[in-house]
Amino acid sequence: MKSKMLVILSCLVVSAMFLTACGAGAASTETGNESTAETVMEADTGTVEDTCPLPVEEGATIVFSGWGDDSEQQIYKDSIERFKEVCPSVTVDYQPIPDNFQDKLKAQMAGGTAPDVFYVDDQLMTAFASSGQLMALDDVMAEAGVSRDDFIPSLLTIFTLDGKTYALPKDWSTLGLVYIPEAFADAGIAEPTSDWTWDDMREAANIIAEKGNYAGYCMGSDWARFAPFAFSNGGRYASDDYTTATLDTTAIKEMAIFVTEMFNEGSLVRPADISASWCGEAIGKELVAMTLEGGWMVNSMNLDYPDVVWKTALVPSGPVTRADVIFTNGIGVNAATQYPMAAAAFAIYVTGSENQGEIVKTGFAYSTHPEQIDLIGNVNDKAIAEGGLLPDTLVAYWGPYTSKVNDAVSKALERIWLGDQTVDEAFAQAQAEAVTALSGQ
Amino acid sequence: MRSKTEPHGKSGRIIAGVLTFAAVTALVMIVAIFNAPTKGGPKVMASMATYLAEVKRTAVPFLVAVGIGAVAIGIMAALNVYRVWLNRRKRKTMLAAYSFLAPYIIVTALFTVGVILFALYISFNKYDIFTEPVWIGLDNYKKAFMGFVDATQKDFLQALYNVGWYTLIVVPLQTALAIALAVLLNSRIRMRNFFRTIFYAPSVTSSVVITLIFVWLYLKGGFLNGFIARVLAPLGVEYAPINWLGDPRGLFQLFGFEIKSAQWYLRGPSIAWMAIMFQNIFTTAPTFMIMFLAGLQDINPVLYEAAAIDGASSWQQFTKITLPLLKPIILLVVVLGTIGTLQVFDQVYLATQGGPLGTSLTPVYLIFREAMGSQGPINMGYASALAFILALIIFILTLIQRRVLEKGTEQY
Repeated sequence: MKSKMLVILSCLVVSAMFLTACGAGAASTETGNESTAETVMEADTGTVEDTCPLPVEEGATIVFSGWGDDSEQQIYKDSIERFKEVCPSVTVDYQPIPDNFQDKLKAQMAGGTAPDVFYVDDQLMTAFASSGQLMALDDVMAEAGVSRDDFIPSLLTIFTLDGKTYALPKDWSTLGLVYIPEAFADAGIAEPTSDWTWDDMREAANIIAEKGNYAGYCMGSDWARFAPFAFSNGGRYASDDYTTATLDTTAIKEMAIFVTEMFNEGSLVRPADISASWCGEAIGKELVAMTLEGGWMVNSMNLDYPDVVWKTALVPSGPVTRADVIFTNGIGVNAATQYPMAAAAFAIYVTGSENQGEIVKTGFAYSTHPEQIDLIGNVNDKAIAEGGLLPDTLVAYWGPYTSKVNDAVSKALERIWLGDQTVDEAFAQAQAEAVTALSGQ
Repeated sequence: MRSKTEPHGKSGRIIAGVLTFAAVTALVMIVAIFNAPTKGGPKVMASMATYLAEVKRTAVPFLVAVGIGAVAIGIMAALNVYRVWLNRRKRKTMLAAYSFLAPYIIVTALFTVGVILFALYISFNKYDIFTEPVWIGLDNYKKAFMGFVDATQKDFLQALYNVGWYTLIVVPLQTALAIALAVLLNSRIRMRNFFRTIFYAPSVTSSVVITLIFVWLYLKGGFLNGFIARVLAPLGVEYAPINWLGDPRGLFQLFGFEIKSAQWYLRGPSIAWMAIMFQNIFTTAPTFMIMFLAGLQDINPVLYEAAAIDGASSWQQFTKITLPLLKPIILLVVVLGTIGTLQVFDQVYLATQGGPLGTSLTPVYLIFREAMGSQGPINMGYASALAFILALIIFILTLIQRRVLEKGTEQY
C-alpha cells in the first residue's frame, strides 16, 4: 500500500519539478539580465555626455538586430563604433539575423525576446506598428532636434501610421536605366541620356534587338520594374488612403500596353527568356543592352562581373512626368525596451546625417538625407540615386496589404505576356484581386 | 486460495481514484494555461505574472471549454484506476506503465496537444498574435471556401486543386517506381549493395540541396533543355526550350485546348508543378523502396519454388505472389505518400514560392504565408482554420485508403 502511494507521490513530484523548472528558468534569466546591467554600470566611467542626441539611461545595454551579409554587418559594426564615441555609456550588442529576419523577429516579438532596436520594413511595420509594438519616435526626435524634413520625403511613407513616425529610414535605393555601352556602339546608336523618354528607350531596344548581338530591354513581370512606367503616366496602384485599388485606370493600362507591345515586338525580354535569374545577371553576362536596376547592381557587378563595362542613366520619362520607384528600410525601436532613450538615441544616430554620411562613403548605401546625395562616389550609383530625388518619385506602399496589391500587378503582367489575357482583362482581374486584398478579406 | 483483493483496499481505491482525477485534470489545465490564446508581445511575456494576468483577462472561455474536457478525461482516468486498483497485478502494471510514460505524456501534452487545442480555438478567431483574439465563429472556415463565389479569393481552392493533382500523380508513380526498384535490387545482380546505396542516396540527401540542384537543372538554359534539344536534334525536331519552373501552362493546355484563365481549374497541373512532382518522385521513391525491400525479404522463397514447379512465369509470380504479399506495405506506402504529398512544402518554398500564377501554391505553403504574415497582416486564425481543414481531408482520405486497401490483406 505504502509503496503504491510512493509511486503516485513520485509522479506528482516529477510533474511538480517539471513546473518549477519552468519557473526557475524564467527567474534565472531575469537575474542574469540584472547582473549584466550591474557589470555595465561598474564599467561606466561616468563621463559627461553632451554629444549624445538624447539623455540616455545610465549603463544601458541595448540589443540591435538586422539582416545583411558580411559587408552590411561590417557597416553596422562601424556605425556602432561611431555611436560609442558620441554616447559612451551605452553598450550596443549587435545580433545580426541574416536569414528569415522578418519571421524570426515576429516570433521573438511574440515571445517577448525581440531586440531593442531593429530593421523595419513594410512587413514588420504592418505586423508591429498598429498593435503598439513599435515606439513612436516623434517625441524623442523633437528632443534630439531631428525632424521628418531632414529625410528624403517619400522615404517616410512606409514608416508613418496615423501621423506618427515608427521608424527612421536607414538607406534606400531606386531604379536607374542600367545599360551596356558596347551594345549601343555595336548597334551604332547614341547612349541613353538623362532626357530620354520611354519611346527613346523602346526605339533603341528595337535597333539593338534587330542587330541581334544583344537583347534589347530586360524586364520580368514584376510590379517594381513596371512602377516607373506606371508612375510616369500618373498611375498609382492604389488610392492615397489605401482603401481601393486603381489598377484598371487608363494611366496604368496605357503603360501596360506599351510594355506588352515591346514584349510582342521582341524588344523586351524576360530574364528567364535569356536564361538569367534576374535582369542584373543578364547585364553581367552581357546578354541584354538595357534594364532597370538599383544600387545593389554596383556591388553585385563588382563582385561577379568586375570586367564588364556598364553605365547608368536616369530613369526615362513617360507621357506625364518622370518618376521613379523607391525602396527603403528603416530602423525602429521596440516599444517594450528597458532603455527607450538609449535605444532611440541609437536609432536616431544611425539614421542621422553624421553616420549616414560615413555609410555613403563606403559605397554600400545611399544616405537618407537629401543634401548628402553629392557624397555618393560611384558614378553609376549617382545616376541611380538621382531618380530618388525626382518630385514624383514614390514608394510603392499601399498600406498593410501592399504586397498583395503589388503581387496582383506582377501576375497581371505575367498573364498578359503569356497570351492568357488582354491588358484589359488582366488589369480588371488585378483590380478585383487588389480591392479584395485592400478590404482585408 | 488467497484473495487478490487486499483487506483494507477500499479506502485506498477511492483515494487513488480521487488523486488520479486531480492529477489528470490539473495536468490538462496546466497544459491549457500554458497554451492559452492570449495576445503575445513583450508586455504580456515579460514575466509569468503578466502572462497569467493576461490569461485571466482574455482566455477564460478557452479555459472553461478545456476545463469541461479536462474533467471528463479526469473522470475517465479516475474510473479506470478505481476499477483496477484492487487487482494487485493489474495495478502494478498500470503504475509502472504510466510512470515510464509520464515524461513523454507531459512533454507531448504541453508541446503538441496543447498547441493543437490552442490552434483549434484560434481557428474560430481573428488573431494576429499581438492583439487579443476576437471570436468570429466559422468565418475563417467560410473564407477558405469563398473562392467558389468570389474568384479573387481562390487561393485555398487553388492550393487544394494543385495538391490534389500532386497526390494523384505522385503517389501512384512513386509507389510503382519504389516497387520496381525494390524488385530489381532484390534479384541476384552483381554489386547489389552498391546499387542499393546509390538508389537510396536521394532520400538521405537534404531535400533543400536536391531542390536547388533541380532548380538549376530546370533553368531555361539548363541541362534538361540542353539534353532534350540534343536528343531531338538528330531527329530534325525544332525544340523551343521551356522555362520549367516558371511556366504556368496546364497539362490540358499542352494538348491544344484553349482554356481561359477564369477556368484555371480545367487546365490541369502546370508545367512548373509537374516539374516539382518529378523531383519529388525522384527523392521519395527510394525511401519507400527500402520498405518494399524489407517486405520482399519477408516473403518465403518456398512460394516461388512451388509456383515455378507449377509452371508460373516470372510475371505471374510477380503479380500473383509478390504483389499480394506486399499489400500491407503498399497500404503503408500509399498512406504515408498521400499524407506526405498533401503536406508538400519545402520544394515550393525553395523553388517557386507558389508561382507561377499560383499553380504551385499548396495548402501548407499558404498556411505558412498567412501565419507568418509575409503578404499582409499576420492571420493566425485563418492559417489555423486552413490547417484543420487540411487535417480533416488527410484523415478522411486515410480512412478511405485503409478501407479499400486493407480488404484481403493477410499476413502469412
